[in-house]
Amino acid sequence: MRGWIKRRAAGKRNSEKRLDGRNPVGVAPDSVSCPQMAADRSETVIELTDTDYTYQAGSPFAAAALYGVNIRIRRGTLVGIAGGTGSGKSTLLQLLNGLLLPTGGSVRVLDHMLVPGLHKPKLNALRRRVGLSFQFPEQHLFEDTVEKDLMFGPLNFGIPREQAQAQAVEALHAMKLDESLLKRHPLTLSGGQMRKAAIASVLAAGPEILMLDEPTATLDSAARRELILLLARLCREEGRTILVVTHRIEELLEVADEWIVMHEGRAVFQGDADELGDRADELDRWGIAVPEPLKCWAEWTARLPQLAALPLPRTAQEMARRIAEAVHQSANPSSSEEEAGDLGRLEASVCATN
Amino acid sequence: MRDKLMIGRMIPTGSRIHGLDPRAKIAAMLLFTAALILSDGWLPVVALAVLAAVVLAATRIPLKTYLRAMRPLRWLMLFVFLFQWFGGTGAGNADEAVWAWTFGPVALTSSGLSEALLAVSRMALLIVFTALLTFTTAPSMLSRGVEGLIKPLARRGTGAERFSLMMRLALRFIPALLEEAQTILKAQAARGTDYEEMNLREKARLLLSLLVPVTVGAFRRAEELTTSLEARGYRIGAPRTAYRGLAWHSADTWFTLLFALLPIAALALRLTV
Repeated sequence: MRGWIKRRAAGKRNSEKRLDGRNPVGVAPDSVSCPQMAADRSETVIELTDTDYTYQAGSPFAAAALYGVNIRIRRGTLVGIAGGTGSGKSTLLQLLNGLLLPTGGSVRVLDHMLVPGLHKPKLNALRRRVGLSFQFPEQHLFEDTVEKDLMFGPLNFGIPREQAQAQAVEALHAMKLDESLLKRHPLTLSGGQMRKAAIASVLAAGPEILMLDEPTATLDSAARRELILLLARLCREEGRTILVVTHRIEELLEVADEWIVMHEGRAVFQGDADELGDRADELDRWGIAVPEPLKCWAEWTARLPQLAALPLPRTAQEMARRIAEAVHQSANPSSSEEEAGDLGRLEASVCATN
Repeated sequence: MRDKLMIGRMIPTGSRIHGLDPRAKIAAMLLFTAALILSDGWLPVVALAVLAAVVLAATRIPLKTYLRAMRPLRWLMLFVFLFQWFGGTGAGNADEAVWAWTFGPVALTSSGLSEALLAVSRMALLIVFTALLTFTTAPSMLSRGVEGLIKPLARRGTGAERFSLMMRLALRFIPALLEEAQTILKAQAARGTDYEEMNLREKARLLLSLLVPVTVGAFRRAEELTTSLEARGYRIGAPRTAYRGLAWHSADTWFTLLFALLPIAALALRLTV
């Protein structure tokens, strides 16, 4: 019963939020994308309808990976895809640029329709617009210099050499990598550089939809945050649709507009962070560790009911401020915001627990 | 890529054949092969085919799966068939043939056709029986079986153990390397290498580009594997208990004896006819 009421409240919050545009994000407000992209945002770019996928279908080794998945993704959104091991996250990404074809239902990506039984479909036009960066960068980079690797995609898509070279350099800059890396062998780069180079190799072809399979695995926490903010910038400033597979929800909480949770081959959840927060108690059952910020927010909303009406804060600072305000109000209903010193101290202490 | 590679993977159905000792199954396969080589003419080959069919049925694995295992070798089988028919020994005996066509130096005869079909049937039976062994035996048990069989041959030292470890690791690496190559091919496909739109030269160049990352990957894996074996106390020649011991039952004895009769019978048939 309580869950139902919470969900109703969440629905109301969402409809309010959609009126004023996007979620708060961890980048400067003036970096929000151009108006033309904002106009396109209602367009659905990815649509899965009752999609099934079975590996080695029809053989004795057949293994079903996806069952009846229904997903819609709008243009220019940053989507987090969470799920335990073997939940079908990576399979889902591979269906979206035609590396795998569905064995049931349909997959529509931009204006391409993928259905079972397509015979030798021409997929390059789709793959040019939908880039996929794989989980292990060392399996993604295969040329003998970084430059060749970055140009591999653009050249395949028929872009002239000079332009491909320019795009490679541009992609390198977008990933905040130095041009001196261009002549290096990809396997001599550091873990973080290799990861960024792998993403740059996808970006170089200028895809509208960028998909990344666990991009932050093997990175330290500072590099992880830097990469997430870079992705958020690509989404906000350039209007790209970005799908990120992760098993650390907290690292994307700040920037993701939408969440999809996969569990045993089914999409068990699609919604924004507020709705995800409302269903935090189910995460465990879906094989995902409940992220610390959600736990902390749930504890405080249980203590201070007025917090439950607010949307889930995306950053530790925001959470601390809201909790501090609520604590202050409940302790002193009549007082105004004069006791900023107390608030500041409380904020600092909540931040520390986060 | 892995979809097409059927041999070398176990299909558990819990049949009685699955339950046999791997040593018995390996010995049976070797004896069956010997009988196939010794058999001359249709009678023994048909008899062996009937026996093989009974054993295949007993594995409870659909016949379709065995046919799939034969698929990768279909061109080789076709080649053997044509080679035998056009230039094989049977082609010369034009006098015995029911019918014979001669086109210049090439003589096509009914006996040549029969010989060619016989050669292909032998090959098919051999493939099916090898597939049967790997379909019904887990790779670890297979290498234990080989170890058990060669132990009496390698009288001293650690030869048998070394060989079985080598075989086990090699078997483990085949799917791992295939998977790695497949991932890189996928990464290339994701960036626009459409095989359907490529010519042979471009395809060859692309396959060559796999060489470095897959080799580097193989060395990395091998190094990590040896370190992890050592870190967990593995030493060649050190006394070691088995996780799953081999147990020889009376069924294994009967199974092996049955197959031991085959080459004897084939030889006897060959000598008497």
